[in-house]
Amino acid sequence: MNEKELVKKAQAGDFEAFTDLINAHKSTIYGLARRLAGNQEDAEDIVQDTFLKAIDKIDQFRLESSFGTWLYTIALNQARGMFSRRQQTDIRTIEEYLPGGQSGHDHSGDGYQLFDWQNPESLLENSQLREIIDRLISELPYKYREAFVLRYLEELPVKEVARQINESEAATKSRILRARLALRDQLSDIFEAEHGQKMS
Amino acid sequence: MGKKCPEYVSELNDYLDGTLDEGLCSEIEKHLGTCANCRIMVDTMRMTVTLCRDGKPEPMPDALSARLNGLLKTRWEQKFGKPQP
Ligand SMILES: [Zn+2]
Repeated sequence: MNEKELVKKAQAGDFEAFTDLINAHKSTIYGLARRLAGNQEDAEDIVQDTFLKAIDKIDQFRLESSFGTWLYTIALNQARGMFSRRQQTDIRTIEEYLPGGQSGHDHSGDGYQLFDWQNPESLLENSQLREIIDRLISELPYKYREAFVLRYLEELPVKEVARQINESEAATKSRILRARLALRDQLSDIFEAEHGQKMS
Repeated sequence: MGKKCPEYVSELNDYLDGTLDEGLCSEIEKHLGTCANCRIMVDTMRMTVTLCRDGKPEPMPDALSARLNGLLKTRWEQKFGKPQP
């Protein structure tokens, strides 16, 4: 049965047709939720709320997009709703992340050089690294995290990210860049500290 | 002399993502050849995304699937009623 037929059946009250539709997309939705949430518990809530919302709104689905796209947008809205309610601090501006910027390091001396970490594997074990990355992503304020995750983990083009988050392309690009700079900066600090310990 | 380092940054992401036009690319590359900090910046920005992408997304846990099945069925029956035998 094709997707259109399944949708029609589901809209007429056929639970099995709905389950087939959900099953075809649950890995995608779970993956998205896991990346946006950064932890298991929130990811499960997002997935659950997304599918419940899909039941509530199934009559409104007009087949203008694919069912998967429709579900994806619902999931993004659920995640945004969940995280925008939580207290968040802003991150620094682009300029402040640059060499010579005010990122909390002392850049004042002549010859200040950024810490170079080409081989993070030599500094930290893979599992440690994974944990740190997950934590850093999940600590980004949501609007930056969302843009970064959609662009680089979900691998959507900038144009599509902009559409999904309802922002201009310029604003979207700026969020993606700030998120990337913030993560780079924090990773740098962690690797530099690790490097210092290994050296001493 | 060309731009100062901070003026390159808004272009760095496009440069790294391969979406910057050629003229600006060669300008950036020229700068990277002479500026260690910008070179480290670019390399570690690239590595940042590589590391973030590294983890494979785990499949949906079976326990969640099972729990959802029950929940969704309940919600479905609230909306459409129980199926007729
Ligand atoms: Zn420079």
